[in-house]
Amino acid sequence: MANTNDAGVEALRRLQQIDPPSLLAPNPSVSETARSASQYLFTTLRPFSPKSPLDELLVDGYDAEQIWHQIDLQSQPLLSTLRRRLNQFVKNPEEIAQFKVPLDVGKKLEKKKRVELEEEESDDFDEELDDDDDDFEGVEKKKAKGGSEGEDDFEEEDDEDEEGSEDEDDEEDEKEKVKGGGIEDKFLKIDELTEYLEKEEDNYEKGEERDEADEDSEEDDELEKAGEFEMDDEDDDDDDEEDEEAEDMGNVRYEDFFGGKNEKGSKRKDQLLEVSGDEDDMESTKQKKRTASTYEKQREKIQSKIVLMEKANIEPKTWTMQGEVTASKRPINSAFEVDLDFEHNVRPTPVITEEVTASIEEMIQKKIVEGLFNDVQRAPKLPSKAPREVKQLDDNKSGQGLADLYEQEYVQKTDPTSAPLSFKDELKNEASTLFKKICLKLDALSHFNFAPKPVIEDMSFQTNVPALAMEEIAPVAVSDAAMLAPEEVFDGKGDVKEEAELTQAERKRRRANKKRKFKAEAVNKLEKKARLEKKADNAISCQVDGNFFIYPYMSNAALTSHLLLNLSHMFIFYYQPHFVKNIKQLLFQLLLYSEFLNAVSLLHKLDLCCLLKQRAEDHVC
Amino acid sequence: MNGMKCIICCTMASSSMEVDNVLSEQKVLPPKPKFEPLKPHEMPGAAVQFRKVSVPPHRYTPLKKVWMDIYTPVFEQMKIDIRMNLKGRKVELKTRHDTPDISNLQKCADFVHAFMLGFDVIDAIAILRLDELYVESFEIKDVKTLRGDHLSRAIGRLSGKGGKTKFTIENASKTRIVIADTKIHILGSFANIKIARDSLCYLIMGSPAGKVYSKLRAVTSRMAERF
Repeated sequence: MANTNDAGVEALRRLQQIDPPSLLAPNPSVSETARSASQYLFTTLRPFSPKSPLDELLVDGYDAEQIWHQIDLQSQPLLSTLRRRLNQFVKNPEEIAQFKVPLDVGKKLEKKKRVELEEEESDDFDEELDDDDDDFEGVEKKKAKGGSEGEDDFEEEDDEDEEGSEDEDDEEDEKEKVKGGGIEDKFLKIDELTEYLEKEEDNYEKGEERDEADEDSEEDDELEKAGEFEMDDEDDDDDDEEDEEAEDMGNVRYEDFFGGKNEKGSKRKDQLLEVSGDEDDMESTKQKKRTASTYEKQREKIQSKIVLMEKANIEPKTWTMQGEVTASKRPINSAFEVDLDFEHNVRPTPVITEEVTASIEEMIQKKIVEGLFNDVQRAPKLPSKAPREVKQLDDNKSGQGLADLYEQEYVQKTDPTSAPLSFKDELKNEASTLFKKICLKLDALSHFNFAPKPVIEDMSFQTNVPALAMEEIAPVAVSDAAMLAPEEVFDGKGDVKEEAELTQAERKRRRANKKRKFKAEAVNKLEKKARLEKKADNAISCQVDGNFFIYPYMSNAALTSHLLLNLSHMFIFYYQPHFVKNIKQLLFQLLLYSEFLNAVSLLHKLDLCCLLKQRAEDHVC
Repeated sequence: MNGMKCIICCTMASSSMEVDNVLSEQKVLPPKPKFEPLKPHEMPGAAVQFRKVSVPPHRYTPLKKVWMDIYTPVFEQMKIDIRMNLKGRKVELKTRHDTPDISNLQKCADFVHAFMLGFDVIDAIAILRLDELYVESFEIKDVKTLRGDHLSRAIGRLSGKGGKTKFTIENASKTRIVIADTKIHILGSFANIKIARDSLCYLIMGSPAGKVYSKLRAVTSRMAERF
């Protein structure tokens, strides 16, 4: 027993030492200590509560609610007895004096009572209630001491609260002393209290259940509330109950205890503490609220809401609720606090990150590789009308004189066909001629699809050279066809007649002419022969005219061949290059006249000459 | 009474004579007289007419060079006597007895004067050949008052690079232009002179050459279309 007692005391002490804020969070160690403390208190109070069914508080595995109910079972009858005793003391203050005579005893009794109260209060602790504990303690103490007169003890409430808190901090003995000193007032007499309590005890048994029920409900309600209101409520409740009981008793009224509302108000003003004044009002209002039904409560709630709303409506609205608000009409920087919602017409600027740039560059590279630039293609403008020939302005000094210019103009006017070449036309012509020249050269190189030179109608002198020589670059063969037509070659004059057509006179004339020519020629030949032979004999510096040969040999092939032979002799010894060209021509002539034999012999001779010449050169070397 | 009678008789006689004359005239009319234009020396004024064209110093040497080209057509085709007065630095022209037309003298004088202004002989010859060729001269300051650099720039604009612009105008308008410092001479027919003058005025006033070219092109194409 002593051990358990000690444990219990220790548990209590620990509870008292615990910081109230720490009780806010559920703590298993605290709950353990609380449970042990409550157990201890229960057992200590057990002898004073004869009617409680439980011998000890069962805590193991029991819920807070269950533990509370157990405590309640014990404490309810205890409380009622205490009240009765108080009433007795009130009526019979002598008893209190008796009570008080042995100071120690009285103190001890008081102490006991206080301890009981404390224990009760501590029993009444809910682990979850923290803030209410101190107040509750104070309230309970007041109940014990003040009872119905607790209403008058507004001053003492505060003191008791302070004393309550002090009690927790200090040791119980010290608390007792302070309390003893503080509580005893003109209003509160402990002896009266005890008398009253005893009286009430008798009354209690009659309305026990009723009290319990009321107290429970009220206590439950008040446990949730904080502050001094609870104390007042409980006092009121108690008073009300007492009033109800007083009906049975007879003459006790509200006004006896609380002195009516008006008196209270006046008393209020006399008292110094404003808090107590507030408490008075609150008590009066709460008395009313206590009597109100649920409907009235609801209505009151709504009324309060209505009041609030009307107040809001009357007052000017907040700037967010007003229409157009400029910066001057709202407090500084208030727009920051409000979450404004408005449409953004502008697209948010893109955040340029490396990835974005990389993606863009990739796209560019791809497009460059593919060549897809999405270039805008100009829509082809359909030619509505034929393009007008734009006149080109010539910025060179004009070669023609002014007179020629006007002459041309005049000619153009009068003879529209002869249109002079304009500057553009001249250029065109120049370009075309150049191009043709180039084409000719290219064709010649390729040789397969060669086209002959275009015939430009110019006045040009044409020699009677075989046509192929002019046209072919690489003459493959020598052709008979001469460039000049026979009539161009023809050197004669007049009407050419065949022999059959000739008349007698014409025949005679021809013969006569022939004779004359022949005679002349014969003379010439003789002279030339003499000259030639002279030259041949000289043989060193012979500048023989090439043409010299052609004339005679054209007319007489036999003579030609004869002379050629002679020539060949010369040629062998005196090879001179300018002979060769003439010999070539001679050969052609010979072939013309079908003097193949002579031609062949000449060729042979030429070959021989060459050979000999080479040999001579070799010998020289 | 006798006198009166005589008069009456005379008048009657004359009237009858007149009637006779009229009748004769109706039958035979003399041919209309054909008068050749008067030769210069037949004209009532002085028989021989002169023109004197002074030679500016800068044209003296060129004149010496092309003297024969000037002399020949004047003397031979126009039949005007021409000589150079060295002392007075003048070219003197005189009609001959066989000068066909008095206008020849004026034409030759114009021709020589054109050469003195600066035109080439082959261009100036056109004056001799064509009737309606004129020389118009004006100064830059007639168009727009320009001073110093602006004037120089205007002259440059007129000529163009290497004479390009001037030649373009010449070719397009069939005229010949001589730009002598601030004086401008244009040789050509009346309409062509106008075209050339307008183009030159645009250039003096500050238009760029390209703009003037486009205008020229438009005008010349219009002129060409006409024919």
